[in-house]
Amino acid sequence: MPSTTTTHEIELVIGKEGGGGGGQLPPVGGNGGGGEDGKKRPNRPISPGRYYTGIAIGIVSVLMFFMALASAFLVRKGGSDWVPVHIPGLLWGNTLILLASSGTLELARKRLTHSDVLGFKRFWLITTILGVAFLIGQVVAWRILVRQGIYLASNPASSFFYIFTGAHGLHLLGGVGALIYVAQRNYDKAKITRTVAAEVTSYYWHFMDALWLFLLALMYMGK
Amino acid sequence: MQFLRQAVRYEAGSGNRGEQTASKMVTYDEGGNASPSTGSGVISRVFSTRHKTIGLQYLWLSLASVLVGMALSTLLRVHTSWPDTAIPFLNGFESTPERYTAVRLLHGSLMVFFVLTAAPQLGFGNFLLPLQIGAGEMAFPTLNCLSLWLTVASLAGMTASFFQPLSRGIDLWLISAAIFSLGALFSALNFCVTIIALRTTGMTLPRMPVTVWAWFVNAILSMLIFSVLLAGCTAILSDRLLGSSFFSTAAFLAHEPQNLVRQGNLPLLWQRLFWYFAQAEVYVAMLPCFGIITHLVATFSRKPVWKERLVVLAICGLGVIGFCVWGYHMFATGMNPYAPLVFSVLASSLGIPATVLLASWLVTLWDARIRFNTSLLFAIGFISLFIAGGLSGIFLARHDLARAALSEDFVIGHFHLVMGVAATFAILAGLFFWFPKLFGCRMNETLGKTHFWLTFSGVYCIFMPMHWMGLLTQSSLLPGAQRTALASAGASVRTLVTVATIWTVGAQLLFVANFFSSLLRRKDVETDNPWGASTLEWSIASPAPPGNFGGQAPVVYRGAYELAGTLAEEFAPQHLAPELLVQKAQ
Repeated sequence: MPSTTTTHEIELVIGKEGGGGGGQLPPVGGNGGGGEDGKKRPNRPISPGRYYTGIAIGIVSVLMFFMALASAFLVRKGGSDWVPVHIPGLLWGNTLILLASSGTLELARKRLTHSDVLGFKRFWLITTILGVAFLIGQVVAWRILVRQGIYLASNPASSFFYIFTGAHGLHLLGGVGALIYVAQRNYDKAKITRTVAAEVTSYYWHFMDALWLFLLALMYMGK
Repeated sequence: MQFLRQAVRYEAGSGNRGEQTASKMVTYDEGGNASPSTGSGVISRVFSTRHKTIGLQYLWLSLASVLVGMALSTLLRVHTSWPDTAIPFLNGFESTPERYTAVRLLHGSLMVFFVLTAAPQLGFGNFLLPLQIGAGEMAFPTLNCLSLWLTVASLAGMTASFFQPLSRGIDLWLISAAIFSLGALFSALNFCVTIIALRTTGMTLPRMPVTVWAWFVNAILSMLIFSVLLAGCTAILSDRLLGSSFFSTAAFLAHEPQNLVRQGNLPLLWQRLFWYFAQAEVYVAMLPCFGIITHLVATFSRKPVWKERLVVLAICGLGVIGFCVWGYHMFATGMNPYAPLVFSVLASSLGIPATVLLASWLVTLWDARIRFNTSLLFAIGFISLFIAGGLSGIFLARHDLARAALSEDFVIGHFHLVMGVAATFAILAGLFFWFPKLFGCRMNETLGKTHFWLTFSGVYCIFMPMHWMGLLTQSSLLPGAQRTALASAGASVRTLVTVATIWTVGAQLLFVANFFSSLLRRKDVETDNPWGASTLEWSIASPAPPGNFGGQAPVVYRGAYELAGTLAEEFAPQHLAPELLVQKAQ
């Protein structure tokens, strides 16, 4: 049990739950607002700011990872042992699938703004299926290359092809996991709302989409 | 004032010390950010998601690593001075140059990753950051726990790699470095988001303590460079394990001007990626230390930080320039002829923010009624080492001088002074300062001061002669007889360095004794704020109670280093409302 201290002193400590972002200045010259802000609110969704900030910073970090590899690609491709990889035609189809998935993701989010959870779930599921289809397509593209005798260890260009597609695929697999998680989650007791979860996931998904376009352009034009 | 503290303590659910120890029984509300692991089982404690527990776990990890790392450095010195001496630990291994290199690698890995990177940022940062910004928890507690255990796995991997045959050992080391990078990335993400999104009401950016600024800049820098290390490790592991050829062939060097490539086929691309990380890693180790030192110097001088905004800018500047100077580690390996000039200019421009920091510390200390305790002694020791090490850095930053100074001894002397030992001094200063907040008791001052003076004299005797030896080995202009004479003098200097190493490492036993005896005796601190500091972590009980602010985050009314107006030489607590401050003054 806490020690007994007179209650009027407690009011001097003005409370606000973490997550406010610290932007605003406190009311100077009073202990105003302490009482109502300080109430306990169990299971209240916390401020979504941290999720948006988190995904933005996470995206920068992932971008840095791929930029390091891309710069290595540019340095390396001048070498005499560089044998360009002919990009399988299937990759263009995969790209279309990924672009379509971004579209369906936005449609799903639009359903959510109309409070149509069922519609949201339907489009969300389509997005997930398209994401998985893209991944399967990438694996098939690998198989095509392997059948042509182009392996990871064949030459620097093929090494880069496999590492770009592999690393991107792994990141996208994380995205698919996030899609499934967002769809399955019970939001009644969660600290995050479905809208916020969907929005944060969509940022990552669109980023993966754009990143793939960049990598494809790099591999296509850089050969 | 006292009644206010009591009020806050009441809110924190720990009205007196007896109840703090029984705090497990109290249900704390963590302001909507409660971490899921609130059970009392061993597993939930070990895998805790609470920021304070995680911070302490990082500090314990660092303590273990620094002790092993120091023991290894002693072995290295003993072997250098007396090569014939049988070293018990190494007897089981074959006596090859590779084994010697492996000991050095283990020493460096432990110190750089698990002490210099872990302690100031991940240890103190995790424990103190939410407290200093008035938050109940880090933004993503589970991710925080994951980061810690990735770091632990990396430590286990790097240690195990030492016991493996060379080739497998390197693979294991690289995998461990990649795992560490992942952990560091998650931590950096957590730090950034916590600082951006979880500051309490009134904690505007200019009001943040300099420590928080340093952790923030450092987290952004870590975010960028550990991604690059991770990419580098992925590619080199793919080369080693899957037979790809990102780095291994020499063909891509064919277009490099031959005269710039010193010898053979250097894996330049790997070096570039590695140094992109490793140069900035120096700043990752140092930035939080700058924050800690600035904070301590102001607190113990009872004066605001001199030019606080400029200091914050300087810390940001160090982060930005530190990110850009990766090339200057490669003067000796050859690069585009114009690049050294660019990197030289950049590296030299690091002197500007460094000078700002130095000027701020010295002016803050100037004419202040300083409280000379162990913590401040270590802070001043840091400043001294920073100046000494920084001056030798000028030689290395100039691409035209770097060749002359680029000997092993000189470089080792330089970076140990400025990065290794200086950062360790900052960690020790921080530990003495925050010990009451971490454990609820103070460390012994007499033992602490003795430890300081022994260590301070010891490290200068180790690393200053190293600079001289380094320049000596590079001096090719001297006639033969003089060189022989100098070489024999060099041998005795080498012995001096070894003896000084044993002396310094021995002195650390005092620290270990002080640390554990203080913990065991647990003499309670007389007040919750023994140093009269103004930041939020001192507005609550010591040691910090589980719920931090007891579900009611404080409100911040002023900057971190503002004096209490009429009460000269006393800081105004950040959380104290203006009218209460006036009341207190009366």
